[in-house]
Amino acid sequence: MSIRVKDLVFSHKNFSLEVSDFSFDSGKVTVIVGPNGAGKTTFLKCLGAVLSIPKNAVMIDGQDLAVLKARERARLISYVPQEQDSAFNYSVGDFVLMGRAGYLSPFALPSKQDFAAANEALDYVGLRRFAERSIGELSSGERRLVLIARALAQNSDILLMDEPTTFLDPKHETEVLNLVRKLAGERKKTILVALHSLEMAVVYSDVLVFMKQGKIVASGPPAEIFEARLLENVYEMKIRVIDWDGRKVVIR
Amino acid sequence: MSGQANSRQKILTIVILSLPFILFLFSLAIGTYDISPGKVIRTIASVWHPHSRQDLIAPYRDILFRIRIPRLLLAMAIGAALSVSGASLQALFKNPLVNEYILGISSGAAFGAALSLVFLGRAFPPQIAAFFFALLAVGAVLLISGRTESHFISLLLTGIIVTAFFSALLSLVEFFASPYVLQSLFFWLMGSLSLASWKDLSISLPLIGVGLSVLLLLRWRLNVLSLSDEEARSLGIHLRREKLLVIGAATLVTAAGTSVVGIIGWIGFIIPHLVRLMFGVDNRRVIPMSAVMGASVMLVADDLIRGLSSFEIPIGIFTSLVGIPLFLLLLKKTKKVWL
Amino acid sequence: MTSRKQNFNQRTGWFGFMFFTVLSLGLFPDSATGQKQEFLLKDQLQRSIVIPARAEHILSLQPEITRLLLALGAADRLVGVDYFIHRNDHLFKLIHPAGADLPVVSQPDGSVNKEMIARLAPDLIFLSPTEQQVPDAIERSLGIPVAALASMGRFSGLLEELELVGRLVGKEERARELVHYFREKVRVISETIGALEETERPKTYLAFWSSLIRTPVFYDPVTVAGGQNVADRLLPSRLGTASAVINLEQIIKWNPDVILIHGSYPPRERRVTVEGILADRRLGSVRAIKDRQVHYTLGFWYWWDPAGVLVETLYLARLFHPEKFSALDLGREGEAIYEKFYGRTGIFRALMKILEFDEWTSK
Repeated sequence: MSIRVKDLVFSHKNFSLEVSDFSFDSGKVTVIVGPNGAGKTTFLKCLGAVLSIPKNAVMIDGQDLAVLKARERARLISYVPQEQDSAFNYSVGDFVLMGRAGYLSPFALPSKQDFAAANEALDYVGLRRFAERSIGELSSGERRLVLIARALAQNSDILLMDEPTTFLDPKHETEVLNLVRKLAGERKKTILVALHSLEMAVVYSDVLVFMKQGKIVASGPPAEIFEARLLENVYEMKIRVIDWDGRKVVIR
Repeated sequence: MSGQANSRQKILTIVILSLPFILFLFSLAIGTYDISPGKVIRTIASVWHPHSRQDLIAPYRDILFRIRIPRLLLAMAIGAALSVSGASLQALFKNPLVNEYILGISSGAAFGAALSLVFLGRAFPPQIAAFFFALLAVGAVLLISGRTESHFISLLLTGIIVTAFFSALLSLVEFFASPYVLQSLFFWLMGSLSLASWKDLSISLPLIGVGLSVLLLLRWRLNVLSLSDEEARSLGIHLRREKLLVIGAATLVTAAGTSVVGIIGWIGFIIPHLVRLMFGVDNRRVIPMSAVMGASVMLVADDLIRGLSSFEIPIGIFTSLVGIPLFLLLLKKTKKVWL
Repeated sequence: MTSRKQNFNQRTGWFGFMFFTVLSLGLFPDSATGQKQEFLLKDQLQRSIVIPARAEHILSLQPEITRLLLALGAADRLVGVDYFIHRNDHLFKLIHPAGADLPVVSQPDGSVNKEMIARLAPDLIFLSPTEQQVPDAIERSLGIPVAALASMGRFSGLLEELELVGRLVGKEERARELVHYFREKVRVISETIGALEETERPKTYLAFWSSLIRTPVFYDPVTVAGGQNVADRLLPSRLGTASAVINLEQIIKWNPDVILIHGSYPPRERRVTVEGILADRRLGSVRAIKDRQVHYTLGFWYWWDPAGVLVETLYLARLFHPEKFSALDLGREGEAIYEKFYGRTGIFRALMKILEFDEWTSK
């Protein structure tokens, strides 16, 4: 599953995103970092065609994402939003089941197959026992996992995750990111994650991408590109990076 | 999975599903003209086994087959139509407080029907103009308030404005038509089943049937549509097409109903709410149960009107008296930030 | 309960009459001092109003009163009329063609142009009791007395109005003459009919106001003509109106012998028609339909026209008791009655032509 971005432009109010040429490696975890307003969310949404994109800007295995039908798109790419505030308090099971929409025509009801896929997704994230509970009863960490489960139920090869760990405590943060790595490893999924935390980004990414003001300023394996000067450039502040027990730690 | 209901819900489901049928039979014996259940049965049986005294049962036959049955069918159809339309719109607009009444669909339909009745006469079906203007109304609301995800206050205000606009247009129609002709229009506008006839039903029932079928088929899809637009899109929904489908169907059933009985408000709000309290928020159950409960509630309300007096109290007044306090109560209790 | 309420309403009419009679007896006009005398009146909305003993300028927004003014020969006192008389009343055009120039003060929805009223400066305003909130609103903002009067479907009410308006415009003589004429006509009809058993009175249902299910609770012409209004035990739907709304089954339950349709609507505007009712299969078991006794009658046209209601009573008397009225020439009688009230010939004929009342003009 190769993702090729070419001349992707998206403008909204005072902000504009410009990515002229970029490729994502399949089967790898690519983490996108950058300051607030850098365009991480916008970039992810464009990659998932959640926002409207120009033709030929995003090509998946040679197919133009912009012209694909919604259902086909959903089977290729799933998008896990940062926040989820449903007006209705669905049960966890029903919620994950919605991930199967791409496999159903508008007038169809979910089949045994769909139920099985949803169950499997819940199993994978370890929340099967919550299937009958309503979303509102869950903690925010558990809700994030449910969102991921829904994306898994979509059974797409590409997963886009927008800051899945924001507001999570360290334990849950680690849980989610471990899951991400597991998906890439076991299921060979191509995963793009936008993260806030630089340290986590370094640890969990195969490829690290830095964004600033709507553009990609640097990308590559973290070991190669993660250093203080780049960080200072991107975040416009004094930063030091130190090695601690094999880990990179950022000092502000 | 959530496909399994526990036994209590199963019993409740069976009871509710059988309600309309039981109520229908029961309602046949209610009315100003006393027809005992025994006579009802004999009169219905006389269709296959002609009665010896045809002249004696002629009033019973006329009343049962030409007055009560069409009226009961209409009541059930309207109840189901408004409830399902309300539930669908609530899912689409991602807000359980929304309904066809506050979105201006009802007033658009009323205006269209009035316009048609006054200028094109009774011979021309008012449902067509009603549908057209109802679509215009909801289109205006969408256009002005921005998206289906607007804050509730913004939707409510826009709905009020659109309703006010169509009310003003209605006044204009009244201005140009002769006053006595419009006496009957006033009564109709209050929402009344009193003039239900097979002729009206022959157009409205099929239209309601079509709209209801569409919404029923879309019941699982409504779950997905109730998510944010971005989520729905990412899950593989062709948003514009499916939203239009839902809005079109909801507007169709509302317009078909309103053009025959006038404005009956708040059913589309009360019923889905009650159903969600009993059966949860999954639209696979909310939609069909709303239809069934809506039909039952309308039957009961109409039975009360017909049974209690020989006067015709417009049913729209009934539903408003119950619906508005309930609405305010729920508004107060709502903890989430729709507002 | 119902009959008590009915009597009360009846008495209210009488009460108002008695009240102002009593008061005005003690208030003989003192022309020497030039004082404007007043008396107290209770109108159909249960409002007590102080009205002047004489009125030079009358704004009549109540078509019935307008017609009475014309009959009294006091058209010059009219400063303005309402929208209905101006736009929809085919009768008015016949009896007072010059009236087309009168200022129109109200609008189709019943609201009034207060500025215009202030400019016209009437001494008194008449309004229909069906406009419930308007009388008080006008009085409050303009300070002119407003009386919500109507016959309410009763001859007594109509005659009281006639006397009151006659007194107001100084045409007591003429008023007396007309009242006497009216009463005489009614007396002759009653005598011709003679004493009737309940069973000899045809049960009559009146489908008025362009609706099958809206019916007047009070309608004297039917009773005086020797019939019985099946709805007369009902209460009017609210204060100030004579109508009640019933459901369809009630009509079948009553099983009337005759159905009368409100025929003052021009033929192309009628929503309820004789053909329509005869063809309505829901009512197939009703006696009136089986016997094909479904007819048009004048009915209210924003209350009554005194000539019209007399002719209507004659028509109904002949309809209900044809054997007693075989000698009646309705065409001639109609012409005479209209001429008596409005001083012109040909009104009845013209009206019958507009309404296409073939039964009324044929012998």
